[in-house]
Amino acid sequence: MLLVPKQLRRVGMTGNVPYYGGRFSPAQAYGAAHPTAPPPSFADPMTAGGAFVRAPVPTAGQPTASVPTANRPDTEKALQHLLDTGVISQTEFLQLRSRVTQ
Amino acid sequence: MTGPIQVLVVGFDRPTFSGEVLAEFTRLRDAGIVRLVDLLVVSRTEEGAFETLALPEGVEADFGDVAARVLGQADNAGEPMAQAGEPAAEAAEVDAASTWSLTDAIPVGGTAAVALIEHTWAASLSEALQRAGGTFLDETWLAREDRELLEALIADR
Repeated sequence: MLLVPKQLRRVGMTGNVPYYGGRFSPAQAYGAAHPTAPPPSFADPMTAGGAFVRAPVPTAGQPTASVPTANRPDTEKALQHLLDTGVISQTEFLQLRSRVTQ
Repeated sequence: MTGPIQVLVVGFDRPTFSGEVLAEFTRLRDAGIVRLVDLLVVSRTEEGAFETLALPEGVEADFGDVAARVLGQADNAGEPMAQAGEPAAEAAEVDAASTWSLTDAIPVGGTAAVALIEHTWAASLSEALQRAGGTFLDETWLAREDRELLEALIADR
């Protein structure tokens, strides 16, 4: 019998979902690190090889696409808000801002 | 069913079973520690599709269907195996980071046994944690090296 896997909740022994303490979840962190990556598609896992297709991770020295200049002020403002509200650390703020300004 | 249910996915080069694992499950069930709720053996083709395989000898004859309904849906004419109100329908609404599927666990071309295991020993502990307002932060297992360190520390205690 052919089987199409379902997405199930990932929970712990108590039945609760993980809590990331107000910080980025792994998926959000990956999304922030790869701003130009297309969103993953779950529309047809069979034709997509049944796999979650992620954007390739850039290798060292490989240029990454920059955020369009027109969006930079908003992006920097959003990063500053994340820093001010404690969502990201100072180090993460500097890393992300450097990518915006590249 | 009161105990937490663990999904254990174990890969095999070849789907052969000696019976030793099933014997251990029987011992653990008799001891009231864990109970093997269901067992499913699947292979993933080079095209990425999942196919259920025959269960090994010694496994209860009606095993496999329940796990298949919980973990997936049959790919026959688009008719889902699960009924209305299934957890997966709600799972689509939660953060993708908090969900998983067999696709994440089993590589293309791989074969795996997927066991649903009830931790009967943990039922009362889990309920006590919930009543105490405990929040699940993380859950993992110690690596072999860390277990060796732990054992050494316990021995010196």
